[in-house]
Amino acid sequence: MKKKNKFLPWGYSFSSILLIGLIVVFPIIYTIYISFTNMNLYHWTDYEFIAFSNYRRALTKLDSGFMSALFTTIIWTVLNMVIQIFVAYLVALGLNVKGLKLARLYKTLLMFPWAMPAYVSILLWRVGMYNPQYGLLNKILSALGFSKVDFLSENIPAFLSCMVLNLWMALPFLIMMMDGAFQSVDNSYYESAKLDGAGWWAQNLYITIPSIKPILAPSIIMTTFTTFKQFDIIYLLTMQKGSLTGATLQTVITYAHQNAFVSNNYGLSSAVSIVIFGFIILFSLFINRGIREEKA
Amino acid sequence: MKKKMALILCIAMAAMCLSGCSKNTESFATKQESKESLTTIRIWHDGDKAIMQMMEHRLNEALSDNGITVKFEQKSGLTDQIKLYESDEVNGPDMYMYAHDSLGMFVEMGALAPLADVIDKKVYADMLPMTLKAGNYKDSQYLMPVYFETLLFIYNKDLWEGEVPSTTDELYSYMKNHTDITKGTYALVNQHSTAYNVAPFINGFGGFIMNEQAKPGLSDEKTKEAVEYHKKFADLEADGDYNTVNALFNEGKAAAIIGGPWLIAGVKEAKINYGIKSLSDFTLPNGNALAPYSGVQGIGVMKHAAEAKKDAVAKVLEEIANPEIGIDLAENSGCAPANQKSYESKTVANDEMIAAMRRTADTAQPMPNIPQMSVMWGPTESLLAAVNKSGKDFSTAADEYQKVAENAIADMK
Repeated sequence: MKKKNKFLPWGYSFSSILLIGLIVVFPIIYTIYISFTNMNLYHWTDYEFIAFSNYRRALTKLDSGFMSALFTTIIWTVLNMVIQIFVAYLVALGLNVKGLKLARLYKTLLMFPWAMPAYVSILLWRVGMYNPQYGLLNKILSALGFSKVDFLSENIPAFLSCMVLNLWMALPFLIMMMDGAFQSVDNSYYESAKLDGAGWWAQNLYITIPSIKPILAPSIIMTTFTTFKQFDIIYLLTMQKGSLTGATLQTVITYAHQNAFVSNNYGLSSAVSIVIFGFIILFSLFINRGIREEKA
Repeated sequence: MKKKMALILCIAMAAMCLSGCSKNTESFATKQESKESLTTIRIWHDGDKAIMQMMEHRLNEALSDNGITVKFEQKSGLTDQIKLYESDEVNGPDMYMYAHDSLGMFVEMGALAPLADVIDKKVYADMLPMTLKAGNYKDSQYLMPVYFETLLFIYNKDLWEGEVPSTTDELYSYMKNHTDITKGTYALVNQHSTAYNVAPFINGFGGFIMNEQAKPGLSDEKTKEAVEYHKKFADLEADGDYNTVNALFNEGKAAAIIGGPWLIAGVKEAKINYGIKSLSDFTLPNGNALAPYSGVQGIGVMKHAAEAKKDAVAKVLEEIANPEIGIDLAENSGCAPANQKSYESKTVANDEMIAAMRRTADTAQPMPNIPQMSVMWGPTESLLAAVNKSGKDFSTAADEYQKVAENAIADMK
């Protein structure tokens, strides 16, 4: 009977494990395998095991420009997350003000940037907002008598332009999460606080924020990772083939793409991927540890 | 009972997962044995649907007596698809039709058979030498050229004042006098930070993006000279983004554009009264003509098809080499045929755009078809964007991106 009970759970979950294995684990193992070979254009089918040679090359690459890309990525992630959390909190608070008319309509409209395909949003912003000839921002500048600005040709303006777009695209998700979290806070806390003389700040600091923190933690972690590994916005706004803007912004992922994935050297690309994978694992351990310590 | 049922369902699901990964050997065997599959030629492409349908119709009509059926199948991201399916006799293509610049990559992968394995040299003897050079890799002809494209000077006859100049210096003077950046009106627009569009200057100055020995030429003195000379044009050519320059020309805010034949449909739709001049008709200060790159659309044969379907493939190639196909392509789709005999047709010879491309073919250089070229576009365009858009010093930027290019090439091995 005991033996049967041991086997049954595995039996039930076997198909799921198999599916996860095929979809998630197999590609990772295969990438690790390829990273130890010389699979490239010149050894398409006759590739051989070359031990750690690709890793040595990948680590040399890390010296040349990776550290500045990592630094940019960290700044990008921190700035985006701080602004997102702060703005989303304020907007969600606004949406929860008692007596706000058409709150549902605002929430539906707010979902629009998040629901739109990223590719479409990015190209719309590139042409509709930032374009020196046709962009709305330059039209406004011209109307005010200022000269036109190429927002994407230098690194700092390009970074800020990418960040604004990222905020536009990502904010709705956090706003919705915060809005949902606000609904879960019992109104009686606020009533008691008011009786004790707590003002708006005190209510937010001692009731709202502590109450929504555990609910929001998974969404914030997810958004942090999405922001850390952001590729589409930076690539499509500044680095798209045939439409380079002159900015040389690099994040970890765009750096890896530019240095490894255009070369048709799959062995080296895989080694770079695995190194970056290692960085992301470290990053996730770091964040999880932070959260656990905070909980304790 | 419920537990047993759940277990059976789990096992069934697992079996289905695994069966999805299995190879369908039955259909493979059936296909191999079937006579029909030996006379059906599948050609993968990533081109214009109307052109491919016209070619498919023309080939099937001509080959019906031989019992050969040709199927053109459109695949987006063709190079990646070929990397995956090049040796797959069942699911992959027998032939492919694509721009010639990825030829070297496919040959190095071992995907293609030389045309000599299937047909005699005489079959493609009438093709323009430039188009043959484009389809030749390491002294073997791999591509049967079909048509080619190259950049043109397209101008709005209602906006352009006087004659179109014949030297680039005169062109620049005209641009200076007829461009008002504040108002958003331009004499000439061009994708000034796209390597393909700046190549006419680089090649004309005697520089190079990459030579036949796979050496990047970004820091070559002649290339630097060309990039420096071209910068003053770029300053008067708007943003240089593909959509922006097209919109400016089609809205009548730019009097001329440097672009390929693919722009003509949009220009016609915008009802622009346009004229065309070959870039070869512009002379640089050094006395050379502008020398654009040309892109040749050609058909290559997969190794397995050259062995298993040799006769059918040979018939298809012979028919593609027929000048009539070139005439059809020119008359119906405005393509410049690779076959010189197609130009004997009056309608082809009198077509303004095709005539301009034919003239340019004499000075145009086929894009390099060596595999290393695939990693050269990025550094070259980064250099052009750095100089033309970010205002960096051309010499420092050229040296910097030369190193980037050399590293990218080294990374390929």
